[in-house]
Amino acid sequence: MPPIIRFNQVSVTAHEKTLLANISFRLFAGEKAVLCGKSGSGKSSVLRTLLGLHPLKSGTVYFQENPLTPESVQSIRSCTAYIGQEPILGAENVREALLLPFQFKIHRGHQPTEAQLIEVLQRLQLPENILDQDSNRISGGEKQRIALARGMLLGKKLYLLDEVTSALDADSKQVVFDVFSDPQLTVLSVAHDPEWLERCDIIFELEAGRLTEVRRHGNT
Amino acid sequence: METLDIKLPQMALLYGLCLLPWLLLWLIGLRLSRDIGVGILRMSIQLALVGIYLKTLFDLNNPWLNGLWILVMLIVADFSILRRAGLKVRYFVLATFIAIASSILLSTAYLMILVIQPAHFYDARYIVPLAGMILGNCLQANVIALERFYSALRKNENEYTTFLMLGATRWEAVRPYFREAVKAAINPTIASMATMGLVSLPGMMTGQILGGSEPWLAVKYQIAIMICIFTSSTLASIINLKLSLKIAFNAFDVFRDEVIEKKNIR
Repeated sequence: MPPIIRFNQVSVTAHEKTLLANISFRLFAGEKAVLCGKSGSGKSSVLRTLLGLHPLKSGTVYFQENPLTPESVQSIRSCTAYIGQEPILGAENVREALLLPFQFKIHRGHQPTEAQLIEVLQRLQLPENILDQDSNRISGGEKQRIALARGMLLGKKLYLLDEVTSALDADSKQVVFDVFSDPQLTVLSVAHDPEWLERCDIIFELEAGRLTEVRRHGNT
Repeated sequence: METLDIKLPQMALLYGLCLLPWLLLWLIGLRLSRDIGVGILRMSIQLALVGIYLKTLFDLNNPWLNGLWILVMLIVADFSILRRAGLKVRYFVLATFIAIASSILLSTAYLMILVIQPAHFYDARYIVPLAGMILGNCLQANVIALERFYSALRKNENEYTTFLMLGATRWEAVRPYFREAVKAAINPTIASMATMGLVSLPGMMTGQILGGSEPWLAVKYQIAIMICIFTSSTLASIINLKLSLKIAFNAFDVFRDEVIEKKNIR
C-alpha cells in the first residue's frame, strides 16, 4: 500500500531562514506519528508545508502519491484536519462553528443533523448545551475538542495536531487518545507529552530543520 | 442672473478674515502660523493653476485634450489610492487603474450620453467637473476598500488559513473580509445620500445656485452626481478588490507579505 504522506528531500526557507533542510519520510494510512525537537527545530513547519502554507525550495511533498501542487492543494486541505494549540473556530457560537465548513462548496449538501452533532459531542465528552455557547467563552481545551469534532463531522482521515495535548486535562486527554486509537485515522502530530509519545508508532526527531532520528515502536 | 464678481481689493479683504482665527489660535497657545500660511498659499496657487488650466480646457474644448485630462486624473488617483491604502504600487497599479477607469468611464458616459445629452458628449464644461467629482469620491471609497480588506486579512490571517483548511476556496475564505471592506467603502456615500440637504447643502448644488441656476435644476444635477458617485464607488471597489485577489496571494492561496508597503504596517 502506498504511503499517505511522503516527503522527498524537502527543503523550505522563509525570509532567508532555513525552516526545513532536505527532509524525507513516509507515513502510511493508520499510523500515528509525532514530531519532536526543540522549539524552532521545524516541527510545525512540517505540518504547514504539507498544507501548502510554505513554498518549497526543493524536493517534493506527496499526498496519497500525488505531488503537492496549486491544483491539488485544496483536495489535500479538505482531507486533512489541522488542529493547533488554540484553534480558531471562525463563528460566533459553537453550533455555527461546527456547521461552518458545510457552507463551503466542497462540503455543501453534507450538513450533519442535530443528532449527529450531539453524537460527536458525546464521544468527546462535551455537554450538549455547549452548542449554543459563545465561541470566545469556551476554554482552550474545549476549543480543541470542538475543532476535533469538526474534523470528525467532515469525516477527515488525516489529522495534523500541533501541541494539542498541552491544553487538555487528564480526562479530556483520554477522550482524545480514544478517538485516535481508530486504526482508520492517520495522525502526524507535534507534542512533548510523554503519554502521547508512548502511544505513537513513529517518533521523528528534528534538529534545526533536519530529521536526525526516526524511532518506531509497535505498541499500538 | 450673473454671479457677482469678487474684485481684487475684496479678495484681499477676504484673506484678512483669516487674521481672526489666526489671532485666536495664537492666544490659546497654538503656534500654527506656518501651517496656516502654507495651507492658504498652496490652496491659492493650486486653484489659480486649475483656473488657468480649466479656462484653456473650456476655450479649446477639444475631445482629445479633455480625454487626456481625465487620463491624468485617473493616473494620479491610481497612485494616490495605493499609497494611502498602504499597498505597493508596482503590484497593483494596473488592477486599480482598470477598476477606477472602467467604473468612471461607465458612469460618466451614462450621465453624458443618456442623461444630460449636451451637443457634444465630450463638452469640457460638463465632463471635466463631473468626472472629477465622481473620481474624487471613488478614490475615497477605493482607499477604504483596499485598506480595510488587507488590514482585516492580515489581522485574521490564522482565521483565513483555518477557512482554507476547512475546504474553502480562496474566494470563500476571504468573503467575510471582502463584504466588510465593500460595506465600509460605500457606507459614507449611502449615509451622505440619506442626510443630503438636511445636514448640509451639497457643494455642487450650492455652486450651481451661486452660478445662477434655478434651484430645481441644481437639485436634479445633485441627484445625478450622487447616483453616479454611488454607482462608480461600488463598482470600482468591488472590481479593484476582486482583481487584487489575483495579485496578493500565491498559487497556494497564501497571502504574499511583500505586496504591503512595509512602513504602513499597523
